[in-house]
Amino acid sequence: MTATAFQFDDVTFAYRTQRALEGVSLTIRSGERVALLGANGSGKSTLLRMMDALCFPASGTATAFAAPLTEAAFQDDATNYAFRRRVGLVFQNPDVQLFNPTVSDELAFGPLQLGWEKPKVRDAVDTVSARFGIAHLKDRPPHRLSGGEKKRVALASVLITEPDVLLLDEPTAALDPASRANLVGFLAREPGAGRTVVTATHDLDIVEDIADRAIVLAEGRVVADGPVLAVLHDVDLLRRTHLVFEHRHSHGGPPAGSHGHMHSSRQEG
Amino acid sequence: MADQRYGICGCGRGRRGALDSLVLGLVNAEAYALDAEATATRPGFLQSVDPRIKVLALVALIVATTATRSLVVLAALFVAAVALALISRIGPGRLARQVWVGVLIFSGIIVLPAIFLVPGTPIVHLPVVGWAITLQGLRSAAFVVGRAETAATLALLIVLTTPWPHVLKALASLGVPAAAVAVLGMTYRYVFVLIEAARHMMEARRSRIVAPLDGRERRRMLMTAIGMLLAKTFALGSDVHAAMIARGYRGEVRLLHDFHTRPPDWVFLAIALAVPALILGLQP
Repeated sequence: MTATAFQFDDVTFAYRTQRALEGVSLTIRSGERVALLGANGSGKSTLLRMMDALCFPASGTATAFAAPLTEAAFQDDATNYAFRRRVGLVFQNPDVQLFNPTVSDELAFGPLQLGWEKPKVRDAVDTVSARFGIAHLKDRPPHRLSGGEKKRVALASVLITEPDVLLLDEPTAALDPASRANLVGFLAREPGAGRTVVTATHDLDIVEDIADRAIVLAEGRVVADGPVLAVLHDVDLLRRTHLVFEHRHSHGGPPAGSHGHMHSSRQEG
Repeated sequence: MADQRYGICGCGRGRRGALDSLVLGLVNAEAYALDAEATATRPGFLQSVDPRIKVLALVALIVATTATRSLVVLAALFVAAVALALISRIGPGRLARQVWVGVLIFSGIIVLPAIFLVPGTPIVHLPVVGWAITLQGLRSAAFVVGRAETAATLALLIVLTTPWPHVLKALASLGVPAAAVAVLGMTYRYVFVLIEAARHMMEARRSRIVAPLDGRERRRMLMTAIGMLLAKTFALGSDVHAAMIARGYRGEVRLLHDFHTRPPDWVFLAIALAVPALILGLQP
């Protein structure tokens, strides 16, 4: 039987007075590829941050690898280090994640904080930069990189420690089409069998490539959970949760030749 | 050029507000940082020195500058600083623009009263007021200005010949606390993100203004913009902290150092350390 990576039971969370999660219950098993779908403000990012122990339930229970996800538990260094070795989060805004002076320092940051020996860190930096095609950027400051390069460095800086769980927050946000295609291609093949990958997105076009299961959130609640194709074919659900909208357009002919069809929110932009 | 690039009207009718001036200043700072980065990666004498050795050596020369009580030695140190700049492909024109003029004005204003107030041998009297400029006063002023010019030139050489990440690593490997180095590094890193945010705010504001605003309204918008930028800074700081925690940060920054020291670097350091030692040892 596959082990459980995350178990959430009736979890709520609020930012001051604003509810972000409301009665969320779900189980994510090790090795699963899950997409968290939802419009802006649906609670995806908060759920992802909770899975990374950056915020904790106000009520309900959450566990990661059968250990409680609570603020008290994470005061303990050993618990914290054990968890950080196993779970990595790629933030939506790479400028948030890339805070070191150079790309090389960025890649080394995680392993050094986790107590790796320096020779091992140097080897890992070389290996991961070659794997992600960023070896030529190693001495560059992150703020001089393009959006696509920043995303690749952010991903590499998390995957360098080979975490069991990879959490991705809107990985394709603000990428040009070529960078987006590269990143999706990577996500579709690279994380490797056995790694749990949870991706928060409202870019429906990539979901089928990067996930097998989809969880739909709306106003902080789980409103659907099932195989990706079943969720993507439930147009009513997608429309209700503002993930698609009806769009009418013509193909250059007279108005009578126009037709309507569904668009995802990414296509809108 | 900068005015056109960042949407400030060049027709002369629009008056540049405080926010515009502030953002233009930040944009110029960004351009300056880019230029410094380009210089630091160019071939040259100081560029080739191990950054740790360079920081130590130039700091030693700054110490010598502040320690000497001889104008001749001070002049020699200034000449040495200029020579180091020249063999590092930094011209005197650039030094004059970036250091000498500014330092001369700033320190000159401070020491101006001293040339009249320090008692000593009068060498000339000002017409009308009859104040006497004394030899001792001039000497004191020359020391202050000379020390400020030389020390600032040497400090600028560190910045212009060393990529900023290497300056930080050099500081860390010389025993500066890692937290202080991390704060310096992040300040430099995120100032560019905030410059970008400030510029976007200014552009968004200008794109919606169709008529000149009165002073009160301009001040109100400036205060709002500063408040928004502050709020963004807090939000960014909080997110960056979360990103650090997510990768195992627990309050202690650990860094990799991979510098290599060559024999000529040691020679340079020995000479640089000998200068303050000789000055402090020999002068009465």
